[in-house]
Amino acid sequence: MDAPESGKVSFQEEALPHLDAVYRFALRLAGSPDAAEDLVQETFLRGFRAWDQYTPGTQCKSWLFTICRNVFLRQRERGQRHDEIVQKNVASGGGISGTGVSVVNPVWQASQDLDPEGEFFSSIVDAEILEAIDGLPEEYRTAVVLSDLEGLPYAEIAELMEVPVGTVKSRLFRGRRQLQQKLYEYAVEQGYISPERQDVAG
Amino acid sequence: MILRAIKKWMGLAEGDGTASDMISCEDALAGIYEFLDGELDDPSSERIQAHFDVCERCYPHLASERSFKAALQRAVDNQRAPEAVKSRLMAVLAETTM
Repeated sequence: MDAPESGKVSFQEEALPHLDAVYRFALRLAGSPDAAEDLVQETFLRGFRAWDQYTPGTQCKSWLFTICRNVFLRQRERGQRHDEIVQKNVASGGGISGTGVSVVNPVWQASQDLDPEGEFFSSIVDAEILEAIDGLPEEYRTAVVLSDLEGLPYAEIAELMEVPVGTVKSRLFRGRRQLQQKLYEYAVEQGYISPERQDVAG
Repeated sequence: MILRAIKKWMGLAEGDGTASDMISCEDALAGIYEFLDGELDDPSSERIQAHFDVCERCYPHLASERSFKAALQRAVDNQRAPEAVKSRLMAVLAETTM
């Protein structure tokens, strides 16, 4: 049965404008441009087929992100994606304690005398930042990408990830701290910041 | 000196947000992510902003988090789906029925 022409037009008008955002999200999930394209195509195909289930005027971008993430997770469960970077990063610790995490960021503490306003972040190249994001555990990475890169509010992220808002906040907190730790270490390595004592938490 | 005078007028010790409606450093730092993410209601957001406006110890932390957030956003600023990806997707959708 051919799709009604009006249905196709509506999908093009409402869903396709989010292609760049879905591609960016897919790239962070899948880790390579080829895998991201597969994920994007599958996402939009499923969205197109399920378009009658979408309520026009609601959060289309979040709806597409939800489909994208679900496709990614199912593929991963089937063993079609293997995140070796994440395994290495988790094994190396990440520098975050399991309980009693301080409100004072360890990276702030380490850099406060030399670079109190974190200007070293602006010296780090984009590729290194993206690699650091890709190295986060999937749950933290998804939360950081959806909040910091795509600007989704906590409530939408919670619905997308099927967790409470409190869990989103926790994942963002831990994901950001891990990311900052990694970028701080990279900045020290590159000489963007030169602490006399490298006593970051870890 | 001017900042200290303002804090004294507001009844604050240096770095200590204990005026009648001024939150503490710990509370300001604990709420920093929700503040930056725009998740707080207006009164809470204003209280946190007021703390960072006057607290010399806490303000650098706010600036650092903003710098971090800006770096993340910059990293994907120019990321777009390649034209080839768009073309192939359009071709696949054109062949697909609902």
